[in-house]
Amino acid sequence: MTTNTYIAGTGWLYRFDPRAKLLLMLLMCVWFFLPVSLLHLSIVVGLVILSGSTNAGWHHAWRTFVSISPMLLFMVLFMPFNVRDGSPLLSIGGFTVITAEGLEQALRLMSRFIGITYVCTLLFATTVMHEVMLALRWYHLPYKASLVVTLAFTYIPFIADGFSQISESHRLREAEDEKKKKFGQRLKDLVPTLTSALVVALRSIPNLAMSLEMRGFGREERRTSYHSLDAYHHVCIHFILSCTIPVVFWFANIFF
Amino acid sequence: MINALSIEHLSFTYQSWTGKQNDPLFRGLSLQIPSGSKTLLLAPFNRGKTTLAKIICGVCPKYFPGEMDGLIRLYGKSLGDLDPWDLLPVCTYVSQNPQEQFVATSVEEEIAFPLESMGMDRATMKARIEEAITHWGLQDLRTSSEQELSGGERKRVLLATMQAIDASFWLLDEAFDDLDQHWRDQLKDLIATSNKTVLVLASRYLGEFDDLFDQVLLLDEGVVVKGETNSLLTRFAHLCGDDLPSPLEREHVLPSQRRILSCLSLQAERSRVSTAESEHFTLEVPQFQLQSGELVTLVGPNGSGKSSFSRLLCGLDAPLGGQITIDGKPYEGKQLSKRVGYLFQSPDLQIFLPTVAEELSWSLKRRSDLSRKEVEKQVADCAELFSLDLDDTPTTMSYPLRKALQAAVYYLLDRPFYILDELDSALTYQSALSIIAHLRHNGAGILLITHDRQFADKVAQRSYTIEDGRLSAV
Repeated sequence: MTTNTYIAGTGWLYRFDPRAKLLLMLLMCVWFFLPVSLLHLSIVVGLVILSGSTNAGWHHAWRTFVSISPMLLFMVLFMPFNVRDGSPLLSIGGFTVITAEGLEQALRLMSRFIGITYVCTLLFATTVMHEVMLALRWYHLPYKASLVVTLAFTYIPFIADGFSQISESHRLREAEDEKKKKFGQRLKDLVPTLTSALVVALRSIPNLAMSLEMRGFGREERRTSYHSLDAYHHVCIHFILSCTIPVVFWFANIFF
Repeated sequence: MINALSIEHLSFTYQSWTGKQNDPLFRGLSLQIPSGSKTLLLAPFNRGKTTLAKIICGVCPKYFPGEMDGLIRLYGKSLGDLDPWDLLPVCTYVSQNPQEQFVATSVEEEIAFPLESMGMDRATMKARIEEAITHWGLQDLRTSSEQELSGGERKRVLLATMQAIDASFWLLDEAFDDLDQHWRDQLKDLIATSNKTVLVLASRYLGEFDDLFDQVLLLDEGVVVKGETNSLLTRFAHLCGDDLPSPLEREHVLPSQRRILSCLSLQAERSRVSTAESEHFTLEVPQFQLQSGELVTLVGPNGSGKSSFSRLLCGLDAPLGGQITIDGKPYEGKQLSKRVGYLFQSPDLQIFLPTVAEELSWSLKRRSDLSRKEVEKQVADCAELFSLDLDDTPTTMSYPLRKALQAAVYYLLDRPFYILDELDSALTYQSALSIIAHLRHNGAGILLITHDRQFADKVAQRSYTIEDGRLSAV
């Protein structure tokens, strides 16, 4: 009922202390909302994708992009509603479709969305879940809250896994001389797939609760930890780097 | 001698979600398991075997609502005074469906989780985890996630967790299913040599059970039946329909068209992304052939590549090299999916609509050559053949009925070839055989994947085996 998001690797992000990585992730998420130029924002997003690709692989970077592409498509489709009183960039028969300001706003929104998505997925792709948990507990988040956070980040991919398995099952059930499906039919076919993925997910909730309790979740004695973060060295330097990276990006925006 | 488990006058009825009152599952069931004993409780499907296990663990009716009455004691303590987490050092349950028990994201973490809950120190945890991992051959899988494991590997992780917890009472629900022969022998040895109280719940009598238990019991009509072992086994075989003639003996398969599914020099690769040090798993199929009307079995150890091969054969995955042909013509992707039906081990991933009628008509409605009346007729005939009620809701149906519905869906698709992935797991031989007989009605070629050599020997005309990723004819 839990899907691992970790991709084994040896890049610098894997050697980065999880506590410092968690801080870096939060600071970067804040950074994307700072008033920086669009060019600068795009360059930073590009750097995040590049470091993600060199650490977790291009395949992971591409899959992440594909998973958010429907959302990006919506942002493009809603572009005509952005800053309608700006300088027209594209008009059809007197109707302004895109304004320069609207385009910039849409691109900024997309860049922020891509940036935040990659920063968050990179944390979970390069850090094993128990280390994320240990890092959260190091920040004094109670055990139950840490467990909820990590379960949420493993349960969402579990639902996605269920969806892809059910889609495969649909594919296997196509009739040999099936009528060619129109776009509307394809969309309609998504409904039972989504419904059954949801049913599978909902049915697994009591099982997950049952299993957690059978594995001792809820016991009164103090919980110990099999793993530790002792293997990470130069933690202080990692924290300094975590704070420095966003600051350097910010100053680069001012001076260049 | 003190009883490890004592159940007195247990009654249980599941809460109904349809307005129709459910029949009671247990009617004054009583059961005593002496401490240190090894007990086999046989139960035909749908008689409440798993529910009983969940009641003993204190999670039913808590998470699976129903009306319960009776007294249950574990080592003298009333279950009513205990929470499920209190039972952790006392009783470990190994589920029939390993997937529902995984809570962590790696094998090592899964085993460590309950030990952390018990507040165990790191050194003790390490020693216990290492011992369990080594005992169940999980050394190369310690950082693998549940999704990267085969069914048998998942079961081994649960057994390793059970061993690491070291509770005094082991409750094993169909624990031998999914395991290949080596690991079945290992489990048998563990049960035989341990000083634990062991209760094995099973819906089929396996050869491994011979001389393993102190007592054999039967769950029937909501109560536990005691008696002489041989007479209980005869009654159990009768309840499962195993004393009936095999449906395969009655059938005369007459293929309307003789077709041949072949694979030549097929190669595929799979990697475990969560484990840096693991090598890529490679699958090699020098030659494979399945003809119309044939019933061929595929056996092999856990994680040997049976499912990977099945996915290639039905076009869900593309091979790295080689080709798959039908009557000499190469096929791939969707075109292959439309000719080779693949019944997943879990029916729940293949049935998804609100009623049986909708489920059965889903594919037929998409066919251009069938009128509405023809679709309705085919659906009604098929439901009758598989003993299904068209108005039933699949998600609330019992496991054998869901499995029958899954098979009925493919029966209507009328594929020339079928892959049945561990069909016999969690079904009686008789139910599995009648599904095979139905699917072969038009002379389809069947590839049956199974761990049960007894079953394979019983039905196979030919056999293939996979070992270390290489498929060969037996």
